[in-house]
Amino acid sequence: MRIVKTVLAFGILLILFMLLNNSQGSIPPLGKFLNPFAGFWQNGAQLDRIDEVIDVKGLRAEVKVVWDERQVPHIFAENNYDAYFAQGFLTARHRLWQMEFQTHVAAGRVSEIVGSKAIEFDKRQRRRGLLMAAEQTINVMNEDPETHLVLQAYANGVNTWIDKLTPATLPLEYKLLNYEPEVWSTLKTALLLKFMAWDLTGRNSEMDLSIIRSAMGEDFVKRYYPDDTPRMDPVIPAAKPWRFEPLLTEEVPSPFEPQFLRALRKGEPDKDNGSNNWAVSGKKTHSGFPILANDPHLGLKLPSIWYEIQLNTPDMNVYGVSMPGAPAVIIGFNDSIAWGLTNAGSDVMDWFEIEFKDKNYTEYRYMDEWIKSDLRIEEIQVKGEKTVLDTFAITRFGPVVYFGEHQMENGHPVGLAMRWSAHDPSNEMSAIRGMNLAGDLESFFAALDQFNAPGQNFAFAAKDGDIAIRHNGKYPLRAQDQGKFVRAGRDTTGEWRQWIPKDQLPVITNPWRGFVSSANQNPVGKQYPYYMGWEYDDYERGSRINDQLKLMDNVGFNEMQKLHMDNFNKQAQLMLPFLIRQLEKNNLTDIENEILDDLNQWAYVSDPDQKAAWVYRQWWIHLEHAIWDDELTLFGEPRKIPTRSVTAQLLFKNRNLIYYDNIDTPEKENRQAIINQAFQQTLTDLTEEFGPYGEAWELGRARGTNINHLLSVNGLGRTGLYTGGGRGVVNATKKTHGPSWRMIVELGETPTARCIYPGGQSGNPGSVFYDNAVDDWVKGNYYSIYFLTSPIILEDSKLSLTSLRNYQ
Amino acid sequence: MISILVSLVLVFILQLLFYSWWWIILVPLVIGFFEKDSLTKAAAGNGIGIFLLWFGMSLYQWGNGSEVIAGRIAEVMGANSGFILAFATGIIGFVVAAMAGYAGFSLRKVLIKEYQIT
Repeated sequence: MRIVKTVLAFGILLILFMLLNNSQGSIPPLGKFLNPFAGFWQNGAQLDRIDEVIDVKGLRAEVKVVWDERQVPHIFAENNYDAYFAQGFLTARHRLWQMEFQTHVAAGRVSEIVGSKAIEFDKRQRRRGLLMAAEQTINVMNEDPETHLVLQAYANGVNTWIDKLTPATLPLEYKLLNYEPEVWSTLKTALLLKFMAWDLTGRNSEMDLSIIRSAMGEDFVKRYYPDDTPRMDPVIPAAKPWRFEPLLTEEVPSPFEPQFLRALRKGEPDKDNGSNNWAVSGKKTHSGFPILANDPHLGLKLPSIWYEIQLNTPDMNVYGVSMPGAPAVIIGFNDSIAWGLTNAGSDVMDWFEIEFKDKNYTEYRYMDEWIKSDLRIEEIQVKGEKTVLDTFAITRFGPVVYFGEHQMENGHPVGLAMRWSAHDPSNEMSAIRGMNLAGDLESFFAALDQFNAPGQNFAFAAKDGDIAIRHNGKYPLRAQDQGKFVRAGRDTTGEWRQWIPKDQLPVITNPWRGFVSSANQNPVGKQYPYYMGWEYDDYERGSRINDQLKLMDNVGFNEMQKLHMDNFNKQAQLMLPFLIRQLEKNNLTDIENEILDDLNQWAYVSDPDQKAAWVYRQWWIHLEHAIWDDELTLFGEPRKIPTRSVTAQLLFKNRNLIYYDNIDTPEKENRQAIINQAFQQTLTDLTEEFGPYGEAWELGRARGTNINHLLSVNGLGRTGLYTGGGRGVVNATKKTHGPSWRMIVELGETPTARCIYPGGQSGNPGSVFYDNAVDDWVKGNYYSIYFLTSPIILEDSKLSLTSLRNYQ
Repeated sequence: MISILVSLVLVFILQLLFYSWWWIILVPLVIGFFEKDSLTKAAAGNGIGIFLLWFGMSLYQWGNGSEVIAGRIAEVMGANSGFILAFATGIIGFVVAAMAGYAGFSLRKVLIKEYQIT
């Protein structure tokens, strides 16, 4: 009996050990996790403390780091190697888990961490070829000794930090998911750069447009998906003449009807990824020096996408934001210049339908011959389960991302290959470093020549008075509308063979109007000789910024801050009076009349306390659905609908149109009917979701903003933030998306700057510096930047000093 | 009870040096084995010792910078507060250590019977 009891006791103990030592589904291993000596209890603000002297193996000389009160490191190094080494070391100190996790996402290795639920994601991610692109890119980068030094120094810094970790100081997320960091490599940095390119240019509507053209006809596409958006105020003023001899483009290829009509676009980047930037010439500023402003709009997450830093060496002094995992400063300023980025939106991704010989996918048809495809076998390791193998094929048109059940009439299977400019090797790291070092417009543009992907509008301002904007990137030379639809990957038509020369890219310097700006809109007017794409953002933000900048004179920081936070809704200004006129007002209830009164009195400013802003937004969305859903739900999927301005134009012009009619109801709806139905539906839906008309309908409450943790773990994010702004508004804050970095720089003898981003320097959810800037960001506040020229600090200042020394 | 103190101090030192959580199994197992008096002392002594250590250490961390993280993890785990989480940490320590103490004590009894160990 005693033996049985003993065996039972050991059995229970063993079970307890197994339960508490291993993850159970999404529950972390509780023994490890709750262990107060090494579990989450150790991830508090105690990790914020920074020693005055840190022993850092691998440094070539002493590095001094000044910390400001937001824990922004200002690194003072005697040489480049040490500067980037320290950047890697300190970024890893604050953001190690985030930087590594993002490289796992880029490389399609999430299953290793979270298990089988990510297998499909990983397969898709690998088929997109980010890893392949990163491998080619790192080879190119390593050929350049200077880039190699920068990347290797950064990697060495990261690894030195990893070596210093103990089970107690391991970042929280490793403990939650029960794994450990691996060695950092330069390839991981290349992966991150490709991931950024993917996030900003990895989306287009070719498949949808091919499907829509097939179902609705050529005229429909021409009319409702035009190359030029109505009311467009392009980045480069349309009147600018182009004084160069353009290269000849080929004839427009004849329409091609793909077999792949049912393709579903999965896991594409957010369509709202965009930004604002502008530079104002000294003629219009109070100080007489140019001012530059930028706010990139990205998915808002914690830890934040950006890491703020200053890098100082004898030949460089640069401040701004870096991407955790990549050296140097991506957006920022130095002693002489400032620059900011917005997404270019020009088409750098084409889809080609590939005809394979058979389901082995080893050969595909090209120029009436069977060509061998490059087969790559991917091993996807899965946490707690067997490794999964996936084969994917690479063709001369790029990797085949989608294999379907589809086949040609002759029985040959088809796939969709993705030709993407970021697949080509290029050295953006060298370009970024060039920007960090640039002293004037000429050197800045020389650096940009090396920056191929992602395509961006680079706004520029310099102490010497120059302002400029360049629609930069590596863009294929296209015939009109080439790349708007899926092409046959069977011959040379539609292949990319030439590129728009860098010296013929859309650019403007020191325009007479005294400012440059961009907001993801069409880069050029009709006079520009090349077709670059058609899926640009609508006109509203760009037009509003230009309207405001034209009016401005004698401006300083305050006016720029006000423009960043500008909540004026141009789309509502255009549409709301028209919609209200169409309303049948005789049978409205008291509440409906109250809502209508509020809409009538609304000044089109989407402040957080505006109920009308949210009602209007929902009304418009319902209206879009009412017009397009029935026609444009094709093969069971909602397809791309026309832009807001196209739909608006159609509503203005047509009282009756077949698309107004809901084909699923017996009645024949006209414009007035669908506007009224959309209004009623909006009020019904909002009442259901938010209760009776009142405070809960305010934009800041009904929508607001949530900044979730990268893993979407409840409790680690900041939710229910009372924000205004919205789509088509300069302050492009939305529910989970918005200005990820607001920066205003005034050039001068010494540049001054105000900045903020919605998060904090630390990636540790237990740190004071994890989300310390969020509330100020919501209110539209900024922080004045310390742009230091030496590591000497006064005793009573808010700054502190750390010395990194190699004691070996 | 001496076993409370012994388990608390021993595990405290070992965890400070080597971090691993399973010291709260290994040490009580050994202490339980050498506990001659009673099963209750072997189980409860170790359980209470580790409860005090883990609850106390959690509270110490809570008061020294981990208040925010405890609040967040409490939300993740559906607990009301960081304090409750500290108590739960202690309880887990108690259950595991008590079970280990019990198992150690039982093992000794079996071995005494079989091999006449005194």
